[in-house]
Amino acid sequence: MNNKGLAFYIKIYGRILAQDLKSKMSYRADFIISMLGMIFTDAAGFITFWIMFRNFSSIQEWEYYEMLFLYGFSLIAITPVQCLLDNNWSLRINVREGDFIKYCFRPINLFFYYESEVFDVKGLGQLGVGVFTLVYAWIKLGLGCNVMMVLKVIVFLISASLFMMAMQNAAAATCFWIENSFYVLDLAFKLKDYAKYPVTIFGPVFRFVFTFVFPIAFIAYYPSLVILRPDNVPLLTWLAPPLGILFFYLSYRFWMLGAMKYNGTGS
Amino acid sequence: MDNVIEIKNLTKEFKVLNRHEGIKGSIRDLFSRDYKTVYAVKDVSLNIKQGEIVGYLGPNGAGKSTTIKMMTGVLKPSSGSILVNGRIPYRERTKNSQEIGVVFGQRSQLWWSLPLIESFKLLKEIYGIDSKHYDEMMEFYGTLVDLEPILHKPVRQMSLGQRTLSDILASFLHNPRICFLDEPTIGLDVAMKSNIRTLIHAINEKMNTTVILTTHDMGDVDALCRRIVIIDKGQMLYDNDIDHLRKFFGAYRTLKVRLKGDISENVKEIGAVLSDRDVTVSSDDEWISVLVNEDKCRVLDVLSIIQKDHKVKDMQLQEISTEDVIKKIYTEGV
Repeated sequence: MNNKGLAFYIKIYGRILAQDLKSKMSYRADFIISMLGMIFTDAAGFITFWIMFRNFSSIQEWEYYEMLFLYGFSLIAITPVQCLLDNNWSLRINVREGDFIKYCFRPINLFFYYESEVFDVKGLGQLGVGVFTLVYAWIKLGLGCNVMMVLKVIVFLISASLFMMAMQNAAAATCFWIENSFYVLDLAFKLKDYAKYPVTIFGPVFRFVFTFVFPIAFIAYYPSLVILRPDNVPLLTWLAPPLGILFFYLSYRFWMLGAMKYNGTGS
Repeated sequence: MDNVIEIKNLTKEFKVLNRHEGIKGSIRDLFSRDYKTVYAVKDVSLNIKQGEIVGYLGPNGAGKSTTIKMMTGVLKPSSGSILVNGRIPYRERTKNSQEIGVVFGQRSQLWWSLPLIESFKLLKEIYGIDSKHYDEMMEFYGTLVDLEPILHKPVRQMSLGQRTLSDILASFLHNPRICFLDEPTIGLDVAMKSNIRTLIHAINEKMNTTVILTTHDMGDVDALCRRIVIIDKGQMLYDNDIDHLRKFFGAYRTLKVRLKGDISENVKEIGAVLSDRDVTVSSDDEWISVLVNEDKCRVLDVLSIIQKDHKVKDMQLQEISTEDVIKKIYTEGV
C-alpha cells in the first residue's frame, strides 16, 4: 500500500465520487429530501441559540454571535466526517455479517477502499449552513479580515475535523472486538453536540474529559480562540494541529489493527 | 510447469471457550479460561500448478473457507507453510492481492451504485492494468458473453445471475495468476450456471489462469475440474484426478428394474435371492435399484437371477455419478 502515492488515491477517489454523485443525482427526490433534512436539522441548532439568547445576554462572557461562531465552526469541522467517513456507520453490520471480507482482496489501502465506497452528500448541506453561520457571526462580531486570519481558520478547521474523524474512526473500529458496538459509535456521534459550547461552561471534570478523553473541545472551542480571543490563546490551541494529526493517525492504526485481526464468518 | 500454490502441513487452530448451559453456566463463562482447541484446517499439504482448475470440495464447515482465507492472506496460519506465487500471502497481502482474483457467489465486490463499465475502469486504475491488455480483455469478454445488457447497468439493478457474471469478469480483468471462486453458481438457474461454466472454462483456456473452485454443485465439478481435492473436518480426504475418482468408485453400477406385481414383496424376494452377492437393494416409487460392485459380481448375472422369477417391465443401467461418489466420501470416508 505504500507503493501507491497520494496522487493515485486522490485520482481513484475522484473517479468514485464523480460516478457516485452522478448516480445519486438520478434519484432526485431522495437527494433533495436528504439535503433539506440536514439543512433543517442544522438550522434548528441555529434557532436554539437564537431562543436561548432571547433570555440570556451571554453564557460565561460568551455572547450570542460568539456562540454562533463556535456553532458554525463546529458544523464545518464535522463535514468531512459526515461526507468521507460515513461508511463507518455500516462497518458494524459488514463485520458482523461477514461482508467485510470482500474488501480485503484489493491491492490498495483497506481503510481508504472501505471509506471510499460511500460519500454522504448530506454533509454538503451541513457545510452550507456552517459557512453561512460562521460568516454571519464573523461579520456581526466585526472581526475584520486579513489573509492571516483566513489561513488560521483553515488550518484550525482542518485540525478540528481530524479530531472528529479520529473519534469516529476509533469508535467504529471497536466493532472488530465487541459485538454491539453501536452504542460506542452513537456516543461518539452524540458527544459532538457538546462541541459547539465553550468548554469553560462545564465543570472541571467534564472540562478534563472533553479535552483529554473525548477531545471534542478541539472541534470548535480551542481553535476558535485564535480568532475570538487572540490575546489569550492557551497552549492547547497551538497544539491542536499536531495533536489532530496524531489522533487521526492513531485512530487509523487502531482501525487497521482491527481490520487485520478480522477473519470473517464462513460462507 | 511451476507450482503457483505450495502448501505444506498447513494448520489453523482456533481457541474456543467451553460454554456451559443455563444462566449459571453463562456467568461461569464470563470468568472461565477453559478453552479447547478446534482445528479448522489440520496438516493439509497441496501443490497446485499454473493453469489447473481444481475443485476444492467438502461439506459445510469442512475448512474450505479457512484454507482460502489463508491462501488470500486474510488469515495467518497457525503452523505449516504456504506459498502463493512464491510469496507468503499474509506477509505480503497487498502484493499477493495484485496477482489473485476472488469471487464470492453471494457477495458482490463491485461498486453497488456504479454501472459495470465504471467498475471496470476503476479496477483498471486500482490494479494498474495497461490499456492494451484492458482493451484485449474487453474484446475477449465480448466474444464470450453478451455484454450489452449489463455494461451500462448499475450493479444494484442487476439480477443475481448478471451480478455473478459481472463479478467473475471483474475478477479476471487484471489477468491474475490464480482465481478463487467460492460457490460461483449458487442460487443460479440452469442456463446461467451453464453460461458461467463456459465462461470460466474459456478464460482458463486462454489466459492459463489457475482456478480454485469451491462448490456444492457437482455439475460445476463435472464441467470444469480435472482434479479434485476433498477435505472434511479440516483434514484432506482426497486429492487426485476426477477420472481416478470415478475409476476408484466406478466399479459400482446401479441396475434399476421395474417389475410386475407388488413392489415391497418384490424387493424382499430379490433381496433374498441376491443375499449372497454383496449388493445393495433399495426401492423408490416403482423402481427397484440394485447397487452392484462389478469387481465382485456382474450386472448381467444379477439381471438374469432377477429374470428367473420375475417379469421385467423396464430396466435402466446407471453409472455412478460424481455426486454419488462425493456423497459416499462425505458420509463414509475414502
